[in-house]
Amino acid sequence: MKMLPLALLVGAWQAAASAGLLPASVLPSFWEVAASLGGMLRSGEILPHTAASFGRAGAGFALGVAGGVVLGLLMARVRAVERAIEPILLLIYPVPKPALIPLFMVWLGIGDFSKIAVIALACLVPVVIAAYNGARSVDDMLIWSARARGTAQGRLLWRVVLPSALPQIAAGVRTAIAVAIIVLVSSEFISAETGLGYLIFSYGGVGADDAMLAVVIYLAVLGYALDRAYLAGLRRLMSWHAFAH
Amino acid sequence: MAAAAYLEMRGVAMRFGDGAQAVSALDSIDLSIAEHEFVTIVGPSGCGKSTLLYLVGGFLRPTAGGVYLRGRGIDKPGPDRGIVFQRYSLFPWLTVRKNIGYGLEEKGVARVERDRIVGEYVRLVHLEGFEDRYPRELSGGMQQRVALAQTLACQPDILLMDEPFGALDAQTRRILQDEVRRIWRRDTKTVLFVTHDVEEAVALGTRIVVMSARPGRIKEVVTRGFDVADGEEFEANPAFAALKLHIWRSVKEEVKAARG
Amino acid sequence: MRLLIRLGPVALIVLAWELVARVGWVNPNVFPPVTDIVARWLTVFLDGRIYAPLWETLWRALAGLAAAIAVGVPLGLLMGRTRWAEWFFAPLFSFGFPLPKIALIPLYVHWFGLFSLSKVMLIFTDCLFPIVLFTYHGARGLSPVYLWSAQSRGTGRLRMFWRVVLPLSLASIYDGIQVAVVVAVLVAVVSEMVSGGGGLGELMIRAYRFGDVRTAFAALVTISLIGYFLYRIAQWLRGILLHWHVTEA
Ligand SMILES: Nc1ncnc2c1ncn2[C@@H]1O[C@H](COP(=O)(O)OP(=O)(O)OP(=O)(O)O)[C@@H](O)[C@H]1O
Ligand SMILES: [Mg+2]
Repeated sequence: MKMLPLALLVGAWQAAASAGLLPASVLPSFWEVAASLGGMLRSGEILPHTAASFGRAGAGFALGVAGGVVLGLLMARVRAVERAIEPILLLIYPVPKPALIPLFMVWLGIGDFSKIAVIALACLVPVVIAAYNGARSVDDMLIWSARARGTAQGRLLWRVVLPSALPQIAAGVRTAIAVAIIVLVSSEFISAETGLGYLIFSYGGVGADDAMLAVVIYLAVLGYALDRAYLAGLRRLMSWHAFAH
Repeated sequence: MAAAAYLEMRGVAMRFGDGAQAVSALDSIDLSIAEHEFVTIVGPSGCGKSTLLYLVGGFLRPTAGGVYLRGRGIDKPGPDRGIVFQRYSLFPWLTVRKNIGYGLEEKGVARVERDRIVGEYVRLVHLEGFEDRYPRELSGGMQQRVALAQTLACQPDILLMDEPFGALDAQTRRILQDEVRRIWRRDTKTVLFVTHDVEEAVALGTRIVVMSARPGRIKEVVTRGFDVADGEEFEANPAFAALKLHIWRSVKEEVKAARG
Repeated sequence: MRLLIRLGPVALIVLAWELVARVGWVNPNVFPPVTDIVARWLTVFLDGRIYAPLWETLWRALAGLAAAIAVGVPLGLLMGRTRWAEWFFAPLFSFGFPLPKIALIPLYVHWFGLFSLSKVMLIFTDCLFPIVLFTYHGARGLSPVYLWSAQSRGTGRLRMFWRVVLPLSLASIYDGIQVAVVVAVLVAVVSEMVSGGGGLGELMIRAYRFGDVRTAFAALVTISLIGYFLYRIAQWLRGILLHWHVTEA
């Protein structure tokens, strides 16, 4: 039901193409694009590219999120870490992360390392900020309550600070998913021999619009599915928290 | 030298902040409490009642003087002093069962034993059937009952209660008051109970401390000369009514002073 | 002095970087000393080489952003206050929001060419999503009390948008614009890096191709400054436009 407007839009696209209102040179019809996608899936040619993209985005994302959570929590609880990291964070915050791709290619080569590194950095920033803010706004009462019930100082981070910061961290991680895909596609546009971004770019370059759009739609569906799966997982994991959605 | 009191505050003062913005919350507090006493504390809002409990809890350190338990200075929180906070302070990510069992888990009590003890306290606060709910699914009164159970389950020697029933309806409040008194009698605990309700203070406390307007000082300490039995209709007891009136007048003066 | 202490860690890193590059442990053409980068940055500013690409990127970002505001705010308000518009547009925009619009760069190049038009259109497309969604949520979440109060004082249905719904949604709209500012700079730079056509993004990629790391750095610094200043200007404007609004944060 919620997808009805989307279906209508696709229907209008197809209708316009069938009626000859939309020349194929401007936009191939929906059926052509769908057929092209079907062909790629059947022949399996899209799979190694999917795997390549997933590998890069997944590795960068995992590094960025893990590093971000640890750094953010430490910043909130350890004054020295806060002092050291905060100015660095302020410095890299306004840098549009894809703009780092050329420099990282100089340092780490044009292969996967530079892509993973930029994705990791781009994912790190929203997660650090979320974890830091989340951990800083932990209610003192909860910390005291845990202390009065026998939780040692060193275990507070794990027992109280992390769980109370979790809703904010979860929101930061969701941003990181979107960011990872953006940086991934940018980096694969700029230099790659594999990956979904590469595929879109090379089909676009040879004028194979139906194949290009097929990969764009495939990427969109994957990205959407990832986001949904993440939200569904969160709801299960954090049923204690009332989500706005 | 006289035997050291069980719980003792000597010349305690507490200031928040510094410079021109400093707030003096407590000043020259001297109070000794014997083991197995039930001490209630009343006073106008903002006079430092919560602060006093936090000092005993070891969450805050006094700016002057000291707080001693069996003659040893209190310097950090511990499971020997259980606290029920004025505001709800349950862990929102834990179910009722896990919240109540939290302290036992920290102590390393095995799962089976833990569940047995938790079941006991769930029954005590009448929350059967809600064991797997999260705090946000409970009413304010239910949450406060869980907080009480969470505190009791740690088996503290001293119970610190900061207006624990302030947000409850009159009936629930009366039931829980009886419950706390029964637990105090049964387990021979020492209780420090803050309230702004004079009737509650007299109904529960074997001694009643009246605090002055800020900076909080001890204005008077009244020993209740009679016992209040569980479930007693103390409204009918003339000694109760007289003591309540006395405390009420004493507090009213301070509230007026605070409004000043 | 406080600032100096706060910036201490950054200063340390810069110092270490400078030393490592100067001593020659790393190839200075790969990892140039900070002072070299600063010098290059000053050079490109002083000899004017940076102005054309800077201006190109800046106006593309601003044009796309302005178009997205012009279209997105009315659309979002409409969605927030009209059933059918909400029914049709809300799912589309919430579906599209997390998707990487930059994947459309080749399609936009095909439609609108290699130069400014395709970039402005892409920036417009990408910025539209946050602006529409934030405006929509702001307009939808209004307390009906305000509307009733205006209605009872004779405000008509159309004037209501202008007189009541817009001002009350302004805080939320502004949140959307602040997200969009960041998006605009990012999309401008990425599309220039990918498909050329001038601008700081292309300057960077070209510098990279010629192995001119210093110029690539100078371009990166400039891009970051643009992003930073646009964001600060947006924040400053917020204070002026929304001075009556009680902010929670
Ligand atoms: N962390 C703090 N920083 C600054 N001032 C504080 C702090 N905590 C308490 N105060 C001040 O100390 C005084 C006593 O506070 P406290 O919470 O102990 O009062 P209370 O008697 O418990 O009041 P109530 O009956 O309203 O709960 C108040 O004036 C309060 O503003
Ligand atoms: Mg209080």
